[in-house]
Amino acid sequence: MMKFWNKKKHEIKKIQTQLNDQEQASQKVADKYNQRPKKWMYNGGIALLVVAAVVYAFISSEISIRDVDFATQFYYLWRGFTHPNTDFLFDMSKGGVPYLTLETIAIAFSGTFLAAILAIPFGFLTAKNVVGKHWSKLGEVLLIIIRTFPEIVLALVLIRVIGMGATTGALTIGIHSIGMLAKLYAEAIENMDQGPIEALDAVGANVWQKIRYGILPQVIPDFLSVALYRFDINVRSATILGMVSAGGLGAPLIFASQAWNWSQMSSVLIAIVIMVITVDFISSKLRQKLV
Amino acid sequence: MLAAKTITLPSGKTVKQPFNKIIIPAAIAIAVFIVCSWVVLQNKGTLKLYEIGTIFKQLFSPTDYPAMNIHHTWGDYFGYLFSLEIREALGETLRMSFIGSIIGSVLCLPFAILCSQNIVKTKWIYVPMRFIINLVRTMPTMVMAVIAVSLIGMGALAGIIATSIFTFGIMTKMLYECIEALDMGPYEALQSCGANKTQAFFYSVFPQLLPTYLGYFIYNFEINVRTSIVLGYVGAGGLGVILQANMDSIYTRSRVGAILIMMFLLVLLMQAFTRYVRGKLQ
Repeated sequence: MMKFWNKKKHEIKKIQTQLNDQEQASQKVADKYNQRPKKWMYNGGIALLVVAAVVYAFISSEISIRDVDFATQFYYLWRGFTHPNTDFLFDMSKGGVPYLTLETIAIAFSGTFLAAILAIPFGFLTAKNVVGKHWSKLGEVLLIIIRTFPEIVLALVLIRVIGMGATTGALTIGIHSIGMLAKLYAEAIENMDQGPIEALDAVGANVWQKIRYGILPQVIPDFLSVALYRFDINVRSATILGMVSAGGLGAPLIFASQAWNWSQMSSVLIAIVIMVITVDFISSKLRQKLV
Repeated sequence: MLAAKTITLPSGKTVKQPFNKIIIPAAIAIAVFIVCSWVVLQNKGTLKLYEIGTIFKQLFSPTDYPAMNIHHTWGDYFGYLFSLEIREALGETLRMSFIGSIIGSVLCLPFAILCSQNIVKTKWIYVPMRFIINLVRTMPTMVMAVIAVSLIGMGALAGIIATSIFTFGIMTKMLYECIEALDMGPYEALQSCGANKTQAFFYSVFPQLLPTYLGYFIYNFEINVRTSIVLGYVGAGGLGVILQANMDSIYTRSRVGAILIMMFLLVLLMQAFTRYVRGKLQ
């Protein structure tokens, strides 16, 4: 009998210790969980800051709505947009939408072409592996200045020099695009594989041969795809440049908007939408072929 | 140039140099460029190269017109740089782009979900949705601002509408592409545990999405600051308004230069800020 009880006692003790272990383990987990990095204060503080910024921005910007009859205004907008000015839309003369669309695309293309060529020396002079770290910093600062000078202001400056017209628009885009293109060119050059150049060195090629057979074949696909991407952007900005009379679709758009001529505006907008979608489609197809 | 060159090797073998395929697209590009530049050159003004120095001098030095008895000093120039007018315009630009980014990036959430192929599996929902988003994205922000200004009048509200529509379009596209690239394992696991679609979305997709979403928001904020600087040119509030007001007269052109300097500083600060925040997010 005693033996039996002893055995039972032993078993109970074993179970108790097991339970104790489990408890200790779960206590350990709980302790560790309580010791987790307390990020809620940090996150909550940032969230509070953002909310405060939103509230402050909404309150402090004195949003005023002009005293207008919105129903009629929207009715005019809707009627104008559903009845585009077809005479203007299909006018084949130089003042019509088709010619202006062509002019816009021409501004964007010639500007991008110029920039794509002009950006090559800038790209090489900004690449770290070509000129070294310090000179590359200088090039970067120059490119940032080019990029931040707003396109419209550049166009306004160039208008004084070259006069109004599409040529100004093309040159504006040509100069402004250098900023972004050269930066991306420099990145492409920095990511270049050094192997082929070393190999050319080993077989005794001179500098020009190294550039022709070692560097150009590697970077040209990247350069082209970057330039095509910039062409997409430039088609959009070429429409804007017309607003400061630098050629293209922007001029009729801003005149129509100032005269509240919604039907004329809608015919310009139709042209912009079709043009941008077509250009996007073609350039994305070309870029897929490149990569 | 087009004829293939043959080279005789020392061993007596002849090798033909392969035809360089880049010549064809290069020729097409040059031809298109010639046509385009012909079209562009149809519409040109008179060239006045001497103006270039004059205009930069007018922009970046204080106005000095003895004939009009206007003698400004560098003190005036730098005084205008930090004047109340510019500070207010800077604040308005920042607020406009911030509110626009907030509205656009909140609105884009439901649309991004509706556009993503792996959450909405019905084709006739996500295909038309994507078409609408693409349509929204074709409009440049400036054109949006022109429409908004002629609809609701000049002021910051027009700029806010334009930037929020732009942010909406670009954020929706970036987000649905991000959602489609997500790991959908946790989502399916939660659904198999009995969670409904909303619960599964909030506990599996949302935590994965949040850092990317915040990063995109910051990126968009930076773009919006850049664009809303010039939105004022058509009357949509911000720095562009005083830029446009001072651009026409030669007597106030030094102010334009000062505004340009402030624009440059603002963009640089924004770049540094976004770089810092993006570093924190990763």
